[in-house]
Amino acid sequence: MDVPAKLPDPVPSPILRHSPSSGSAMSRSLRSVVDMPSVTFAADMRSDSTRGAESTASSFESFRRAGSRPVPGVARLPTRRSASERAGSQRDLRDEDARFVYINDAARTNAPPARFPDNSVRTTKYSVLTFIPRNLYEQFHRVAYVYFLILAALNQVPQLGVFSPVASVLPLAFVLGVTAVKDAYEDWRRHRSDKNENNRTASVMVDGVFRPKPWSDIHVGELVRVVANETLPCDMVLVSTSDPTGVAYSNLKTRYAKQETLTTPPEQLAGAAVIRCERPNRNIYGFTANLELEGGESRRIPLGPSNIVLRGCELKNTAWAVGVVVYAGRETKAMLNNAGAPSKRSRLETQMNRETLFLSAILVALCSVVAALSGVWLRNHEHDLELAQFFHKKDYVSDDGNGNYNYYGIAAQIVFAFLMAVIVFQIMIPISLYISMELVRLGQAYFMIRDTNLYDASSDTRFQCRSLNINEDLGQVRCVFSDKTGTLTQNKMEFRCASIEGVDYSDIARQQPVGEGDRIWVPKKMPVSVDREIVELLRNGGETEQGRHAREFFLALATCNTIVPLILDGPDPKRKIIDYQGESPDEQALVSAAAAYGFVLVERTSGHIVIDVLGEKQRFDVLGLHEFDSDRKRMSVIIGCPDKTVKLFVKGADNSMFGVIDKTMNPDVVRATEKHLHAYSSLGLRTLVIGMRELSQEEFQEWQMAYEKASTALLGRGGLLRGVAANIERNLRLLGASGIEDKLQDGVPEAIEKLRQAGIKVWVLTGDKQETAISIGFSCKLLTREMTQIVINSNSRDSCRKSLDDAISMVNKLRSLSTDSQARVPLALVIDGNSLVYIFDTDHEDKLFEVAIACDVVLCCRVAPLQKAGIVDLIKKRTSDMTLAIGDGANDVSMIQMADVGIGISGQEGRQAVMASDFAMGQFRFLVPLLLVHGHWNYQRMGYMILYNFYRNATFVFVLFWYVLHTGFTLTTAITEWSSVLYSVIYTAVPTIVVAILDKDLGRRTLLKYPQLYGAGQREESYNLRLFIFFMIDSIWQSLAVFFIPYLAYRKSTIDSASLGDLWTLAVVILVNIHLAMDVIRWNWITHAAIWGSIVATLICVMVIDSIPILPGFWAIYKVMGTGLFWALLLAVIVVGMVPHFVAKAIREHFLPNDIQIAREMEKSQDSHDVTHPEVQMNTMARA
Amino acid sequence: MNGQAAGSSSGGSGDGGAAPRRNTRKPKYSKFTQQELPACKPILTPKWVISVFVLVGVIFVPIGLVSLMASRKVVEIVDRYDDACVPPNTTDKLAYIQNPTISKNCTRTLTVPKDMDAPIFVYYQLDNFYQNHRRYVKSRSDTQLRDASKANDTSTCDPESVANGTAIVPCGLIAWSTFNDTYGFVHNSKNLTVDKKDISWKSDREHKFGSDVFPKNFQKGPLIGGKTLDPNIPLSQQEDLIVWMRTAALPTFRKLYGRIHTDLKKGDSITVALENNYNTYSFSGKKKLVLSTSTWLGGKNDFLGLAYLTVGGLCFFLAFAFTLLYLIKPRKLGDNNYLSWNRNPAGR
Repeated sequence: MDVPAKLPDPVPSPILRHSPSSGSAMSRSLRSVVDMPSVTFAADMRSDSTRGAESTASSFESFRRAGSRPVPGVARLPTRRSASERAGSQRDLRDEDARFVYINDAARTNAPPARFPDNSVRTTKYSVLTFIPRNLYEQFHRVAYVYFLILAALNQVPQLGVFSPVASVLPLAFVLGVTAVKDAYEDWRRHRSDKNENNRTASVMVDGVFRPKPWSDIHVGELVRVVANETLPCDMVLVSTSDPTGVAYSNLKTRYAKQETLTTPPEQLAGAAVIRCERPNRNIYGFTANLELEGGESRRIPLGPSNIVLRGCELKNTAWAVGVVVYAGRETKAMLNNAGAPSKRSRLETQMNRETLFLSAILVALCSVVAALSGVWLRNHEHDLELAQFFHKKDYVSDDGNGNYNYYGIAAQIVFAFLMAVIVFQIMIPISLYISMELVRLGQAYFMIRDTNLYDASSDTRFQCRSLNINEDLGQVRCVFSDKTGTLTQNKMEFRCASIEGVDYSDIARQQPVGEGDRIWVPKKMPVSVDREIVELLRNGGETEQGRHAREFFLALATCNTIVPLILDGPDPKRKIIDYQGESPDEQALVSAAAAYGFVLVERTSGHIVIDVLGEKQRFDVLGLHEFDSDRKRMSVIIGCPDKTVKLFVKGADNSMFGVIDKTMNPDVVRATEKHLHAYSSLGLRTLVIGMRELSQEEFQEWQMAYEKASTALLGRGGLLRGVAANIERNLRLLGASGIEDKLQDGVPEAIEKLRQAGIKVWVLTGDKQETAISIGFSCKLLTREMTQIVINSNSRDSCRKSLDDAISMVNKLRSLSTDSQARVPLALVIDGNSLVYIFDTDHEDKLFEVAIACDVVLCCRVAPLQKAGIVDLIKKRTSDMTLAIGDGANDVSMIQMADVGIGISGQEGRQAVMASDFAMGQFRFLVPLLLVHGHWNYQRMGYMILYNFYRNATFVFVLFWYVLHTGFTLTTAITEWSSVLYSVIYTAVPTIVVAILDKDLGRRTLLKYPQLYGAGQREESYNLRLFIFFMIDSIWQSLAVFFIPYLAYRKSTIDSASLGDLWTLAVVILVNIHLAMDVIRWNWITHAAIWGSIVATLICVMVIDSIPILPGFWAIYKVMGTGLFWALLLAVIVVGMVPHFVAKAIREHFLPNDIQIAREMEKSQDSHDVTHPEVQMNTMARA
Repeated sequence: MNGQAAGSSSGGSGDGGAAPRRNTRKPKYSKFTQQELPACKPILTPKWVISVFVLVGVIFVPIGLVSLMASRKVVEIVDRYDDACVPPNTTDKLAYIQNPTISKNCTRTLTVPKDMDAPIFVYYQLDNFYQNHRRYVKSRSDTQLRDASKANDTSTCDPESVANGTAIVPCGLIAWSTFNDTYGFVHNSKNLTVDKKDISWKSDREHKFGSDVFPKNFQKGPLIGGKTLDPNIPLSQQEDLIVWMRTAALPTFRKLYGRIHTDLKKGDSITVALENNYNTYSFSGKKKLVLSTSTWLGGKNDFLGLAYLTVGGLCFFLAFAFTLLYLIKPRKLGDNNYLSWNRNPAGR
């Protein structure tokens, strides 16, 4: 059950917790290094290779501790982790760390040296002035661009001037320019949204009156008044609200104004109050401050996260609220967390570097050959050079040293030849590839965002691409790590059954809908079916033991929570609709259930609650509340009842509760309840155990003193409070247990089935207990009956090792039994957090890994957030498998950042997961179209595009190379320099980009119908060394055809270099475009336009170049196009160049077809005549 | 909970949040955005493969035959004269060619192997002359050639940019080294007139070489490279220069010298009176005189025809081979039994 483990609030991700305290220095330095502020922890985990083992070790230290806490008992004093946690939420607030905010006195607040920033935000990277230098600086982070810059610079050396100065910088300038335009556009959009944001108005107190003021002019210390449904302009501490009890709601959260400020009119707070709060930090769930009222007696009121409302939230269901600005502008928590897209690198890009190195080697080889041959040539002609008309070694005009013109001896000439060769052959490294990839990813992202199949109507969210670097990784995922609650399930809880005093009330048959009848209070959502027996018991049980316990049980449900009821007027004036506002869906479900049984929570202030107990309104004083924390795994309230008794109600996870329950009091009940709990969790229900204790007067007073002391403590407040809680939460009497259903999201079982068919392993990591996890596993088809389950849940190191060894031997046995991979028994590993702790502690990770990869399904239950990241890391470190993590809550952040691909579910829980993710979407089931369709496409397209870019540039370079061999190795090009530089960026760039955005090897329907087709990406079928070599061989062959056919035909003729150069230019452009055309799978009009248009554009460019009279090649193209030989040669070049590719393609597609080829043919035949029988056949196949 | 702030200010390109607020953010359906544009999906079926090969063969073989025939029809006389024109007992050819006092006149006799119909093209062919050498191709000034006012535009012409302190027109190595052997033909003791008009490109004469640009200070340097130009004739009429300045693509090349508008009969003997001025001895280049008729294909070159025939033949062979292969190993298209996961099912 472990309800709270997934509550958004109480278990903030350790990432956030780490940031303010020990990690702050590190995080700041990381921010500059990694440029992704929100991922402090993950960055330090991920960067283990670069940052050295230290930081990794420390994070794992804390990770292990996170899980190593003994299950029951809290008395144990804080381990290192809890210390850091305490530091996060209730960290020591020393004066030098504090910020002083004088309420309604912005001048004093902002007096030097404080000078806090105003509320204007700037998310733009550039200003008009800084754009060019900064953008260039950023772009030159790419090594390739530096390489091209160096070459352009080399070209300016007179001896090496291959191209004219303009032509030499043109390609680089072009790609830099395109990228700059793209960046500028993005930045302009940010600028525009900033402007909108800054110009919004809010009413701010000026001279005692609230006046509208633009957001950007709001300063720390000012009072801001916000009305319902208005967006909060900055982070504010609530001062007063329309609600007399000081409650305000912001989106899902309930916030309070302190009683002390509530009563004072806001304008009178000026000068009378000062807030001492911590420095701005990224921890959304933490806030530590004190309010010091200076009037009369000096008082210190503690402020916590529940007193602050954050920028970007909307005020809901509250007429107005007034708050004092504590953090403004870029210091608000929202802005500090607005890290922007995380920067990851796709696997394809990493692999591409390997091939780039090969190409560099080829480049160096070509240059060396040219340099060496030029040396040989010069040596052989050493004595001819002076008089040979084409060399003219001597310079008779100027009298410099040796009297030579541009000749420095053979050695120097060899060096020059080499450098010039590098300049001439530079596009062997495709300069336009990087910008092409960016544009392609942009296009792919466009289509993913616009895909109606990835749009979630229930939350009205589109697909979001937050990272633009890893689109193609989506096509290679082998391992999915999924959170359970909120990801697989809806996180919409429904109360299903209860066990009260050892009696099970879970018989569905007895349940009936709540009779509307004479009810005054109607909960807004979640109609609960009630168990007639319980209703009877509550109504008429009267003074029986069972009846009393039932009442106390429901009273506990109604009181022990942080839910705030909101009374709305319904259509029926006699009935009131109650909207239960709260952060935890479990609590909402419990309170709604209590309401259905007649214990209606009607009102909550910070001091008391009002409950309609079976028709009679009663007031209960809330004397104390120990909030949930993940160490205790329970929460408690101390209630002063109308009958003057003081009761402690506690609810929490069973393992934590049974540690503090006095089992001697009613052993039978305990045993029965345990049995029921087991049954509930087997049904997939989330369970909670409820306990209570009546406090004696002395006990209460003792507690009260400790509590007050702890809650105003300045040092270690959190730890002290926890100690107080642990002290009072003991010797409880067991009241019962509840079972809450967490419904599966739509289409989850089908999605998991598809993913499994696609060869993707699905690991579910959940905080739930084992039985719950397993039953959810069954209900979402993760686990099936024919699977063999390996369960590891050990309470000690030794037993853990033993069960691991057993598991390994079992795996090996099964493996030896069935060598045929198809026939093997599917295995499922179920392992719990404790065992994981032991495994990670004792370095049995390898064993675990061995077991885990042999299993089809892995279910990790009761895992702490940090362990999730550790599990992902387990796989990432040991295999090259692409990992994907999907989750929705703050507790998934570490895992999302650790995985190769992180996906956030944009659902009810906060935005933490989305902020940390690379992609965000509304539903788990979208994973199927995302991976199987878009991922497949993206991968196939990008892989092909990279190979094609390598190929087309290499072809061109080889053509240049063959020619250089016939020019005395002097790096002359027949192709005009303009065509040389335009080739890569204009002549052939557009078609490959268009194809990489639009081409589809298979249709959506086919890809979804045969998930196995996803294997192509996992097996790296679209991009590998073999394909690269094939492309290179093809490239060499085609360059030979392009060069030698015209060469042989024009030998001993009057052909001039410009005409021949034009022929070569057109031939190579047409050839590479036809090559692309031959590989295009789907021709739509855009593809046609791009490919044929590019050939026409090339022709036009060549014609334009040849129409410039001051270029030596003037009019050549017109002249040469007038000869029949030109056209005959062009045709011959194309046919001879394409024959090998065509033959290879024909053979591959017909005699060695891969799955994609077969599926394409099926698709085609289905298009022509829709046959139904393959489907039937497929189903039988799938079953086999 | 800070969703709004993030949505409105993150501005990431993936975030469609900047769009005007609509009731729903559901992406609008269009065939384009859903990537469902109507498209043609060609597949290389056996039928296609075989027809493509047959088609290529059918096109290529005739073209090959026609080309080969055209090439065979061309009559070509090639006479290498660089060695033969050196007086027999000269040991140092270089000294001979450099010595302006020795007469360079030389007589060659050619026999016409087949009937040659007018026009007969007269070419000179140079071997091992790297007109595409980097030093050479760059040493020219196209602006100067075109425009009389840009006479001093010689920066790109080194090392032949200035002589005696003034700019050379036309400057640069290319112009400097203009070929200067001359040929006179005597046929049946009648002079054959060589028409030297229109041997260059019209576009060059009209746009590239100025009609008001006159040679100036040309060949005045210490080393004479080739032809001397008449300073009274504008560059646009110096056709030998214009032809020469269309630099050849390859180190063995021909350039048009002129045309003979007289038919020659088989067995005719032609006497060539030539002036062997041009120095190719310094780099062991060869000089050849070429008389050739012409067809649509240009000069004599069997390569194209042979290439077309070979490719055409190969395609027929491939068509045959593929037909055979398809018959031996037929495969039903789109048969899902070929899918890898169906190919070796466990149960069967």
